[in-house]
Amino acid sequence: MRIKIDGIEIDVTSGETILEAARRAGIHIPTLCYHEAFGGQGICRMCIVEVKEGNRTRLVASCTYPVNGEIEVKTSTPEIERIRRNIVMLLYRRAPNSEFMKRLYEEYGRPADITPADPEESCIMCRLCVRACEKVGSHAISAVLRGTEKRISTPYDEPSPDCIGCCACAQVCPTGTIKVSTMPGKYEIWNKAFEMDRCESCGRPFVPPVILEHVRSKLGPEFTEEHLCPDCRKKKTGKIMADSHMSK
Amino acid sequence: MSQLSMNNTAARTILVCCGTGCQANGSMAVYQAFRRELADSPGTQVHTYTKSTGCNGWCEKGPLVKILPDEITYCRVKSEDVPEIIASLRYGTVMERLLYRDPVTKQVYRSHRDTNFYKKQRKVALRNIGEIDPANIQDYLDRDGYNALRKALTMPPAQVIEEVLQSGLRGRGGGGFPTGLKWKACAAVERTPRYVICNGDEGDPGAFMDRSIMEGDPHSVLEGMIICAHAIGASAGFIYVRDEYDLAVHHLSRAVEDARKHGFLGKNILGSDLSFDIEIVRGGGAFVCGEETALIASIEGNPGEPRDKYIFPTEKGLWGQPTVINNVETWANVPVIINRGAAEFASIGTTGSKGTKVFSLVGKVVNTGLVEVPMGTTLREIIYDIGEGIQKGRKFKAVQTGGPSGGCIPEDLLDLEVDFDSLTAAGSMMGSGGLIVMDDRTCMVEVARYYVNFLAGESCGKCVPCREGISLLLETLTRICEGKGRLEDLDLLESVSATLQQAALCALGRTAPNPVLSTLKYFRDEYLAHIVDHRCPAGICKELTEFYIDPELCTGCGRCRRKCPANAVAGEKKQAHVIDPSRCIKCGECINNCNFQAVKVK
Amino acid sequence: MAGDIRQAAALQEMEQIIAQYPAERRYILAIMQDLQKKFNYLPKEGLQMTARHVNAPMSTVYSMATFYKAFSLVPKGRVNFKVCDGTACHIKGSQTIINEIYQCLGIKPGETTPDGEFSLETVNCLGACAIAPVLVANQKVYAKVTPAAVREIIKEHGGQINEPAVNE
Ligand SMILES: Cc1cc2nc3c(=O)[nH]c(=O)nc-3n(C[C@H](O)[C@H](O)[C@H](O)COP(=O)(O)O)c2cc1C
Ligand code: SF4
Ligand code: SF4
Ligand code: FES
Ligand code: FES
Ligand code: FES
Repeated sequence: MRIKIDGIEIDVTSGETILEAARRAGIHIPTLCYHEAFGGQGICRMCIVEVKEGNRTRLVASCTYPVNGEIEVKTSTPEIERIRRNIVMLLYRRAPNSEFMKRLYEEYGRPADITPADPEESCIMCRLCVRACEKVGSHAISAVLRGTEKRISTPYDEPSPDCIGCCACAQVCPTGTIKVSTMPGKYEIWNKAFEMDRCESCGRPFVPPVILEHVRSKLGPEFTEEHLCPDCRKKKTGKIMADSHMSK
Repeated sequence: MSQLSMNNTAARTILVCCGTGCQANGSMAVYQAFRRELADSPGTQVHTYTKSTGCNGWCEKGPLVKILPDEITYCRVKSEDVPEIIASLRYGTVMERLLYRDPVTKQVYRSHRDTNFYKKQRKVALRNIGEIDPANIQDYLDRDGYNALRKALTMPPAQVIEEVLQSGLRGRGGGGFPTGLKWKACAAVERTPRYVICNGDEGDPGAFMDRSIMEGDPHSVLEGMIICAHAIGASAGFIYVRDEYDLAVHHLSRAVEDARKHGFLGKNILGSDLSFDIEIVRGGGAFVCGEETALIASIEGNPGEPRDKYIFPTEKGLWGQPTVINNVETWANVPVIINRGAAEFASIGTTGSKGTKVFSLVGKVVNTGLVEVPMGTTLREIIYDIGEGIQKGRKFKAVQTGGPSGGCIPEDLLDLEVDFDSLTAAGSMMGSGGLIVMDDRTCMVEVARYYVNFLAGESCGKCVPCREGISLLLETLTRICEGKGRLEDLDLLESVSATLQQAALCALGRTAPNPVLSTLKYFRDEYLAHIVDHRCPAGICKELTEFYIDPELCTGCGRCRRKCPANAVAGEKKQAHVIDPSRCIKCGECINNCNFQAVKVK
Repeated sequence: MAGDIRQAAALQEMEQIIAQYPAERRYILAIMQDLQKKFNYLPKEGLQMTARHVNAPMSTVYSMATFYKAFSLVPKGRVNFKVCDGTACHIKGSQTIINEIYQCLGIKPGETTPDGEFSLETVNCLGACAIAPVLVANQKVYAKVTPAAVREIIKEHGGQINEPAVNE
């Protein structure tokens, strides 16, 4: 099947999402809740694109829209850019406290002069952490409550017996929200303490290799290749994600 | 007692309305009193049969007691009235004091059918409600029940679908999608099993038509679903009922059991090839679970979060299988279409919307309750003819349709012929059929804030535009209601609303701005009054309200003085009264209670 | 000791409720409904047992318990007031009822009196809009409630109210 994205013709297999097709063709669509390892979630709506099918034009989330016929896609229009600016504004209002969000807010030209609701908040609710935790098979964290109160936590905000201390969640988090606090020979995540090894990069103690091995086997090679401590990892993933937005 | 005489030896059926509204007014006690009194006096010459029925839609006048075949309707009956009613049956008289009396014309109505409230109605979906005992399948069978199923089973499935298609029936759950097309799409998917779902989540605050059908005529819903199962080849059905609806769950469960006993559910239904059964699922209390993909997630055992609907449930629904979801009222219409034929059904209504629609007419209107009218009836007819206008002679301001996803419609659009398309064109929605009438004591900015606040708690919180957009809308509207609004806020409201409409994941988010945008469109002056003049014309937003008494109009009756909980009103008898603004807590008791419209908002 | 016995009995009851359902994920909601009805809240042990029974992660069960409004993670009062704040009730003054309950019992929506007697929550439309505003105390529905009626309802359910100074 052939579709057109921004005028470029691309071969797709039926059921592939627009985002996947675009990425394969090297066309950039901004995303905030997408990770190759997990597939589209349809949460952030940054990836919205315009789809023309026959005479009908509509906006869809490219990370969840499966291609099933001849379509023409535009990844950027004035309308789409307005939406993306507003999404960045809304997320900055919710969670201004990360380098990631600050950079994004600047990049989109400080859309609307807005007072953040809570200056300390940093979680943008992309749920990548939840998906990572699911993927390693722990299911220790989830999105709880609903509506404007929704947040990520372990059951009862208590240390979860299901958490294996792999820190996959902290590693995938673009905003550095998930705290991994280190103490001599120990680290703590989601209020739970674990024994540790040492980080290859900064030499600080870090997650036991058995656990890392487990994570790697579950998440695939693109997830973790180096033996980095949470801080170094966070800096790195944060940079990769932010770069991908800048490169547009 | 009046002397309207009647035959006093005939067998009578006494129907006691035991819908939720009447129960709240004490109808169970009335029902029990009838049973007790009649059991205690076997020697009465009256042959009676007492039944409890579902909601007659006139709850405001409840508890209602109807006597057949005499066609007498008694309103606001108390258990103390029961012995007297029984005596009147014996002597063949009518108890005039319990009949409905029009408050204006003072005319007395023997049967509810003759009142303005009922005269313009046309009962299709509600055909049996109030006439039958919902817990007794025989009552349903006596009124043509399950004949449509018998007939459908003799028809090839494709013909059943064609009949529904030809009838022009559109989904009553809000979207108005053609029901026949939905069935056809589902039947066309090769994979099995296929499923049928009844959406009984009814989350619109201010609407209760689905509740009334599930409580008052559960078999009509089952029959509709079984017919669909035959049409699309489904093997299992689910009824998802809103958590708060205890009585509905009770009656539906009973109906399912009875239908199984009669062979309408189970293996080889009525000797045919069709095997189909229905399970009842209690919702957990979430408005968003009315959205079909969230509802499916909920039945599967997950939080009720919607997903993108680029593939419809007809193809990938419950457990990934082809699924038809329809609304309660939609289901209740299906047996009628099969029984009487598509053409007859399609003869009611407008070009684009066929049949009738049940509305819950509530708010500041004189007659509140459930009304069923042909599509195309004007809002004015519903509010002024059936509803008999605004309570306490106040001024109409707006009517809200479509619930939290709908909009507020102003006076100059009252002649709008109501159907799916006309309401959407007016910036509102049919929704499930709530009609909430608002008067000059309703602040439109506060109404917008109310809905947005509702949605802030009811959004599933998954996607960014909805969760964060609603949060920002709420903050902005609250600011305006508190008198701290700025003119730029109106632009902000419009810009964020646009993003919600275009980018939110599900229809909850995409329609969430409707109450804001429709009030901004039709009542912008009220927003400006709040922002620029720092006043709330309706006298609702406390920070922007000051009440005063017009000395010309005040008769000095002292009613407001007695009602005021803050002792802020002073005045001598028969002299004009005065409100002390420093003591006033802006509760509005004075303005609500003044019979002379003398209390005003500055 | 007595506490231990009660606890053991409670656990047994939870087990019985849960065992009535097949070990499938789709029964989580139904099990939680039953637990809520029996205990007036969802005890943590009950949720853990549910998760084990249907073989779902505890985080999923907890997500559901916090997502749906029918459930509460802390015990509700012996008498639970649900004040309808649906649209019809809202424009007919449900707020004054909520205020009156606060005046009488000192609780706001979501709160329980310290003695565990009364709790208050708001709900969205009870489907009885024609008789708005509506209040439900446990299972009983009250129609066209006024602030004065609130006091009567509280008394009817065994509550004490500090009478405020009468104004006249
Ligand atoms: C937020 C939201 C709430 C909804 N609530 C209900 C509801 O309570 N009852 C209902 O039947 N449909 C509801 N719907 C519509 C359903 O998603 C669906 O369209 C409907 O059940 C289909 O049945 P119908 O075609 O018979 O109307 C809701 C939709 C949304 C977006
Ligand atoms: S550290 Fe714990 S919570 Fe985080 S992904 Fe690993 S198991 Fe899940
Ligand atoms: S903690 Fe991080 S990964 Fe998890 S939802 Fe928040 S921002 Fe996303
Ligand atoms: S990347 Fe598509 S919605 Fe977030
Ligand atoms: S409950 Fe009796 S008329 Fe509605
Ligand atoms: S709004 Fe309160 S019962 Fe419907």
